[in-house]
Amino acid sequence: MNRPLWVALAWAALLALVAVVAPAFFDPVNLRDLIVRASPLLIVACGMTIVILARQIDISVGSQFAICGVVAGLLAREGLPMPLVAAGTMLAGAALGAINGVLVARLGLPAIVVTLATLVAWREGLRFATEGVWVQDLPATFQWFGLGQDIGRWLIGIGAAAVWASIAFVLGWTPAGRAVYATGSDAEVARLLGVRPPLVIAGSFIVMGALTGLAALLSAVQFIDVQANAGIGLELSVIAAVVVGGTSVSGGRGSLTGTLAGVALLATVGPALTFLGAPAAWERALQGAIILIAVSAEGFSRVRRVKEQHA
Amino acid sequence: MTPLLSLSDIAVAFGGVQAVRGVSFDVRPGEVHALVGENGAGKSTLIRVMTGAIRADTGTVSIGGQPVERPDPTRMRSLGVAPIYQQPALLPDLSVVENLAFGLEHGRAFRRIDWTARRARATELLTRVGIALDLDRPAGTLRMAEQQMVEIARALGTQAKVLLLDEPTAALTDVEAARLFTLVRALRADGVGCVYISHRLEEVMALADRVSVLRDGRLMATLPIAEVTRDGMVRLMVGRDVDMGLGLVKPTRDASDASRSVLALHDVSSAAARIAGVSLRVGAGEIVGLAGLVGAGRTELARVLFGLTPADGGTIAIDGRTCIIRTPTDAVRLGIGYVPEDRRQHGVIGAMSVAANTALASLDRLARFGLLDRAAERREAQRFVGEFAIRTPSIEAAVGTLSGGNQQKVALARWLATTPRLLILDEPTQGVDIGAKAEIHRLIRTLAADGLAILLISSELTELLGLAHRIGVMRGGRLVGLLDHADATEERLMSLALGHTPMAMAAARPGGQA
Amino acid sequence: MTRARLATPELVLLVLLVGELVWFSLAATNFLTLDNGLEIVRASAEVGLLALALTPVILTGGIDLSCGALLGLSAVVFGAIWRDAGQPIAVAAAAALGVGLLGGAVNAWMVAGFGRPALIVTLGTASLFRGLAEGLTGGAVNYSGFPASFLHLGQGRVLGLPTQAWVLIAAAALIAVLVHAATIGRALRAIGYAPEGARFAGIPVGRRLALVYLLSGGAAGVAGLVYAARLGQARADAGTGFELSAITAVVLGGTSIFGGRGSVWGTMLGLVALGVLANGLRLADQPAELAGVLTGILLVVAIGVGARRGRA
Repeated sequence: MNRPLWVALAWAALLALVAVVAPAFFDPVNLRDLIVRASPLLIVACGMTIVILARQIDISVGSQFAICGVVAGLLAREGLPMPLVAAGTMLAGAALGAINGVLVARLGLPAIVVTLATLVAWREGLRFATEGVWVQDLPATFQWFGLGQDIGRWLIGIGAAAVWASIAFVLGWTPAGRAVYATGSDAEVARLLGVRPPLVIAGSFIVMGALTGLAALLSAVQFIDVQANAGIGLELSVIAAVVVGGTSVSGGRGSLTGTLAGVALLATVGPALTFLGAPAAWERALQGAIILIAVSAEGFSRVRRVKEQHA
Repeated sequence: MTPLLSLSDIAVAFGGVQAVRGVSFDVRPGEVHALVGENGAGKSTLIRVMTGAIRADTGTVSIGGQPVERPDPTRMRSLGVAPIYQQPALLPDLSVVENLAFGLEHGRAFRRIDWTARRARATELLTRVGIALDLDRPAGTLRMAEQQMVEIARALGTQAKVLLLDEPTAALTDVEAARLFTLVRALRADGVGCVYISHRLEEVMALADRVSVLRDGRLMATLPIAEVTRDGMVRLMVGRDVDMGLGLVKPTRDASDASRSVLALHDVSSAAARIAGVSLRVGAGEIVGLAGLVGAGRTELARVLFGLTPADGGTIAIDGRTCIIRTPTDAVRLGIGYVPEDRRQHGVIGAMSVAANTALASLDRLARFGLLDRAAERREAQRFVGEFAIRTPSIEAAVGTLSGGNQQKVALARWLATTPRLLILDEPTQGVDIGAKAEIHRLIRTLAADGLAILLISSELTELLGLAHRIGVMRGGRLVGLLDHADATEERLMSLALGHTPMAMAAARPGGQA
Repeated sequence: MTRARLATPELVLLVLLVGELVWFSLAATNFLTLDNGLEIVRASAEVGLLALALTPVILTGGIDLSCGALLGLSAVVFGAIWRDAGQPIAVAAAAALGVGLLGGAVNAWMVAGFGRPALIVTLGTASLFRGLAEGLTGGAVNYSGFPASFLHLGQGRVLGLPTQAWVLIAAAALIAVLVHAATIGRALRAIGYAPEGARFAGIPVGRRLALVYLLSGGAAGVAGLVYAARLGQARADAGTGFELSAITAVVLGGTSIFGGRGSVWGTMLGLVALGVLANGLRLADQPAELAGVLTGILLVVAIGVGARRGRA
């Protein structure tokens, strides 16, 4: 039962349906836009895959995304060159991730509750700070990195692909990446084997934050000004993509290949709905249904030695 | 010759209680040094000192004659001390290859892994311990014995000099145990030292070169195996001659009267449990033992009877009435109680009190209009504490704080509170010290004498021979033999369990039967 | 050891409450009045209903992140049945309750029936329920203009207390009996401490879990009605963020997020603390967002203290 394969098949089926009913979907311009729109999602999903592999979860990414976007805009407005803006944005994301990471790894608090708290605290804090005002009057170098639409789009798409490939390499071919799997599979045993779970867990949140920052930047540069409230509901789309792609919420199992398939499927669903004539308002419901289907399909794992009792 | 590992005059106290005092212990190259003692005698504390998990208050730990400054688990591992616990320390979702690579490699965190080299080394290590496995299987899907082998293979990969084997045969079939003994002997020939902790004194007699006996935190004696007998060890462990509560059993009822069967199984099969065609009767007041290797189907049969695994063939009758048992709730309603093998996870809930645990299977009975009658709950708990001599500060104490033997008594009390017709006991004295063991055996006899039908699953043939009126033997999911007590001997039971004359066992026990 | 014993969640809660009362009585206008106290109750009733039903869920070691979304869906269905389908209020209300129970049933089916992790299931159903509400209203429709008799539920008083206070009291009594006096409560705790261990004791784990998730759904349905009655309107975004407040109230009250340990009384206290916080901030002319930020911080502190105690 190769989950990424099933998802790819489902995606192909969806595309086939759309090809029959609404072939206009396959217009190169539309496809290009779809890829550009999906690229930030893929980047965040790579980070979320790492977090979920480590048997954690982060539902605050939407708020991180919003904050990082605003940070990017502010830094650009201050006149920083774009490379520094990028670095600063990713640093901001990493800092937010570090807060989650410390609370979970150092203090041992459950990730779901911590990130639920930071989700709201950060979004409310951002709303208070910006008062809902978008970041405007950005220099010309901001939109599309000042390189124009065409090059800018390529950059975004390639950036996402590069991030995916590097993270895939790290997860599959480096001890650091395997340590993530080990921590998610059984943190106690991993510790006995020389892994440092608190470090791995904190690290995965920090990487998640940095990647979210990058994604926020790549999303923000597509426009002239920066939203004050971007990324609402982002966490659900990302978690859906990762879980659909076969990564297990109990940790230790999954892959970026699956995440790629999941992102492909979910990024296509929304636009496909529009082309099929269904109102866009149903997209969230469909996302939820897809999560539920994916969760039901998750084979019952006898592999896990569950630590059942706790005091 | 310099010992590989030596503890010198070790003392450890926990919150005012002296767990270990003045103990000196060493392991020489190429020897198997057994460590025996009742639960609470200090064995696990000593092991934890050896692995570096705790630091002794006084005394020194030395490796190869060199004292270790500040022992901690990582250091001791790197110095070659490898613990092999009952629960294998493997990463369940990761492959065998990967499990054999973790802890063996050093290097930068972000270098590229050479999977080919890893696979080669994994194969080499597995060959060394004498097992062949699919390298890509998740370690969690392996059988317990295979997992243990992987752990030992990994220990060898880390150039372990001393293996600490804690009850290694607890979950193994006799064939697998024999294979383990062969491996241990091979390692011994290679100069590896083994610390062997076991409650199974026959194994100690068969395998060890020296044995050390602990009692109440003190070292009673360290003797070459030639100078020890099983009874002698027991005497040192307990300080008195212990009547194991065993001995010839006189059946109190005519248990062969089928019409009075509490439990009647006819051709019971279950694909999920991998058992087939089991027919068996247990009468009121009768103890029917169930022998067989681990995995032969005994616990699986128990699970079917208790509704944990579905049956798909044959009939199960309680008191003459055919019934369908789909869930444990059904089983309880039918008057079946099950004291499972895994006490800590399934037998009791450690975080809840003695009273709560005792009442847990009786919630419906203790309810008045859905509300819990707490006074009744307390009364019953007190009664059992008294009747079973459960040593606990109070009935509100968390069960997890009690010793293994007392936890087992609470587990028993829980089911007795439901006044069952049939009680299934699965390894009731596993991990229980000698004193409590005898008490539990006496309890079992008393329960049977009071009319309870008991199905006793045990891997200790002496236990079965001492308690059961009849003993069934399971092999490969089938009941291959049912012997009256008069006809049952260890050899006959063992040969039925193995399906052939036990040459393997004979070879594994050069010392022969004690 | 003594220090750990002092820092219990209950003590944190007490300190917090006292601190709030003192601070706001000084910093806010008209804080320490009876009327204001009743207003706090009125404003907290919906979260209170969710928190009460969430307590047994968390006791079993589970969680329900979908209760806020289900509240919104119930409210929207209520509005739609009444306005668009032209049904009497009572029918619409019954429909809302039905939706709540149905939503709870979906959670129950997947968590209790399929044994899937509650975290990801309720994350999915949260998305589904909110999505259904958005889909039904096109994200834009706002139902309002309810008859005064209905609005009395949210805006009126009965025997001097806000109407919804009586609903809250009834719910609290019911859940308290369930958790503390009924045998089911004992079973729930056992499931929270050790799901397999509970099964081995003959406890019908599936049925008990199904019950608590159904209850949570039902509570969301009732809360949806109270919400619509209080605000006089029903929109797809009703109840957004309520699950955070509900979970915070439960955890502040000393219930362990891991299951097994907890009390309904604690949840009520936690609810009071949160209600006072939101109200006091508003009366002290603080920005609305501050309440959200502080709630998040409080949640982390409460869990942190609880975790520390668990390890002591």
